[in-house]
Amino acid sequence: MRHFGNTQKMQPDVRKGRPDRKAENPYGKESNRRKSTLLFLAAAVLILAAVTAAGILLEGRATETDFTRTNLAPGPGHLFGTDWMGRDMLARTLAGLSLSIRIGVLTAAVSAVIALLAGTAAAVLGRKADAVISWCIDLVMGIPHILLVMLISIACGRGFTGVVAGVALSHWCSLARVIRGEVIQLRQAPYILVAEKLGVSKFQNVRRHMIPHLLPQFLTGLILLFPHAILHEASVTFLGFGLSSEQPAIGVILSESMQYLTTGRWWLALFPGLALVLTVILFALLGERIRLLLDPASVHE
Amino acid sequence: MRKRNKKMKQAASVLLSAALALGLLAGCRSGNASGGQTSGNETNAGNAAGSGAESDSVIIAMDPNSEPEAGFDPAYGWGAGEHVHEPLIQSTLTVTDTDLTIGYDLATDHNVSEDGLTWTVTIRDDVSFTDGEPLTAEDVAFTYNTVKETSSVNDLTMLDYAEAQDDTTVIFHMTRPFSIWAYTMAIVGIIPEHAYDSATYGSNPIGSGRYILKQWDRRQQVILEANPDYYGEAPKMKQVTILFMEEDAAFLAAQAGQVDVAYTSATYSDQEVEGYSLAAYESVDNRGFNLPAVSAGTDEEGRTVGNDLTSDVLVRRAINIGVDRQEMIDNVLNGYGSPAYSVCDQLPWYNEASEVEYDPEGAAALLDQAGWTLGEDGVREKDGVKAELNLLYAVGDSVRQALTADFAAQMEELGISCTMEGVGWDTAYDRALSDPLLWGWGAHTPMELYNIYHTIEGTDSAEYSPYSNPTVDEYMDRALASSSLEESYELWKLAQWDGTTGVTQEGDIPWVWLVNIDHLYWVRDGLQVADQKIHPHGHGWSLVNNVDQWSWTERNDEL
Repeated sequence: MRHFGNTQKMQPDVRKGRPDRKAENPYGKESNRRKSTLLFLAAAVLILAAVTAAGILLEGRATETDFTRTNLAPGPGHLFGTDWMGRDMLARTLAGLSLSIRIGVLTAAVSAVIALLAGTAAAVLGRKADAVISWCIDLVMGIPHILLVMLISIACGRGFTGVVAGVALSHWCSLARVIRGEVIQLRQAPYILVAEKLGVSKFQNVRRHMIPHLLPQFLTGLILLFPHAILHEASVTFLGFGLSSEQPAIGVILSESMQYLTTGRWWLALFPGLALVLTVILFALLGERIRLLLDPASVHE
Repeated sequence: MRKRNKKMKQAASVLLSAALALGLLAGCRSGNASGGQTSGNETNAGNAAGSGAESDSVIIAMDPNSEPEAGFDPAYGWGAGEHVHEPLIQSTLTVTDTDLTIGYDLATDHNVSEDGLTWTVTIRDDVSFTDGEPLTAEDVAFTYNTVKETSSVNDLTMLDYAEAQDDTTVIFHMTRPFSIWAYTMAIVGIIPEHAYDSATYGSNPIGSGRYILKQWDRRQQVILEANPDYYGEAPKMKQVTILFMEEDAAFLAAQAGQVDVAYTSATYSDQEVEGYSLAAYESVDNRGFNLPAVSAGTDEEGRTVGNDLTSDVLVRRAINIGVDRQEMIDNVLNGYGSPAYSVCDQLPWYNEASEVEYDPEGAAALLDQAGWTLGEDGVREKDGVKAELNLLYAVGDSVRQALTADFAAQMEELGISCTMEGVGWDTAYDRALSDPLLWGWGAHTPMELYNIYHTIEGTDSAEYSPYSNPTVDEYMDRALASSSLEESYELWKLAQWDGTTGVTQEGDIPWVWLVNIDHLYWVRDGLQVADQKIHPHGHGWSLVNNVDQWSWTERNDEL
């Protein structure tokens, strides 16, 4: 519940906010909201894509050491400064963010697909399947996330595979639970019952009638998984159970910077940390806006 | 009504988030103090500094890894192992002098039989344990038999058994000749037979050494007090307090004036601490890469063994002269280090033929000669195969990572393309069989040469990196079997280079040694740290080997 709890808690607040805004903004302004949301979406996606691309291009520079320029404070040549091996922190930060975003996209996608399959299977395949899957969800959710990510990551040999497996296999349950609830509700919907009576097979029913209905929930859930996936990737790497230290990952950068904070090298932690927070916020806002766009209750505002 | 409700909600949420923020801050605070442990140290340090403002006590901050897990029990590795040092609390039969030759502590004389299988050592008769009981040859024999039986750290397989002939004579029966037994005797602390219980001795050691363990707070500190009945020269430092701290905490403790000596590393060497100076002590704490000397293949356990690039001796020689060690020291160690050419630089068994000049042209010529020609992209090729190395280093060690990065950059200049990979020690040993790994060695015994270069019996390779040379093996076997230390030194030297073969540049060069890392400490002004013998691997207890001879010219911590 840890993760999805947030969004669900946010929903009522946002809804409450609406009447006020309506009172302030007379008619006619609402279509702007949709436009501005779309604009924001485009901008956010563009920024994230740009960061990802820049990071991939800068990967070579990020790992390049130059001992003639070690420990430089932020300045014109190196906007984010350099570290103790003379690596450019701007390049490292971008490469780290890019790596984080790519891992985030990959793990969130895997997680979301697992969640969709598990959620629908639990709701459609009958009582026994439901019991088993619900038990699995409870089990995974019962273990603190970071611990589970660490355990899976170590079991899979750390590194890229370890982190991806760890994050992907631990983040699906809240979304699966939401989808399961949705499907259970859907099953009683008249149009589904009619389809059943008409002899449409279970699989067809799910594919044709349920999945389209679940799409908004699924997409929102998917995007809202990104920030968690990214943060967990960074934290498990920070703790030394994730990506290896030669990779330019944000977690690696932050844990290395800890050694140098006492000697006053604040830029090693500040900029990469800020960049990580901003990326995560951007993803969170993105998910929230997409939900507003896709959710039938708010789509016309 | 609704609005009001909302306002209340807002107020509540503000309150809650404020509470949360406060909670976080509190969490950070205790987090900073690394779980309250350092704060405990600080108060302790404060007390100790307050009470010990006389000129005969000293407070030293050491790496937490220096704390002996199993306590101060020689049977469980105290003093021995990877980071050798004098056991302080116990006496030893011999000691290593500042030039790493052998001197006597408890022993007064020693003899070896012709076949090298019997060692007879006579000991002093005026030594007592701190509980008043005299120390006899029985205790010595008991110690060695116990250590042989229990210790996994101290390798005594060459000893068959020890027996006491009379009160002051002990006889060691060996399973094989072992000429450097005197170096082993220098690290085995003598424990009392009458008061030894393996369950409690580690935390309540009784010895006959210079110091008595007064207090040990696990994970925090050790307080040693001078032994008033010590048979040798009375220790000048009456109380030695050792605090276990992380590197950044040790630095802060020095800044706050709470410790007299704090270990540190090159990372902090450009800093200044008022009232302290930075002391650098030479070491054989070396770093070097193993270069697998056989072609790639798999062994019976399915591990990849060997490396097709480094299996060529010309490539290994090119690497050895193509690396600029001084640049590495200036870049990575801030100048606090010395070039390393062997695993035992400056020790009595070091062969000076190991030393090489930096010669990039010569290295390029060797690579050309080996058939690795420069391609258009600056990477050498041979038969369509690129010259590539995957360099491994211990993950989490920033100095090793930086050394590896610098080495990689220098190799790129030679035309060898390098990638880096951090590995944990759980997999590093296996990985090093096929890829060069950055190792750290350096001990006060020639056995290290044997451990690194000698072929393991029954196999065709040395232990850590695939390599085997029967001539080198033979010299080392003869060195162990020789009747005197002086003779064995010569044989150890011949094992490194005998004029035609060996492990140096003109020989097989199966390892390339890069640097010896100086051990750095913040030392409070006025404290005279006695002359150090060249430090072994491990940045811990070797500093206090002679803490009994330290002194204060003046104390300036009464601020």
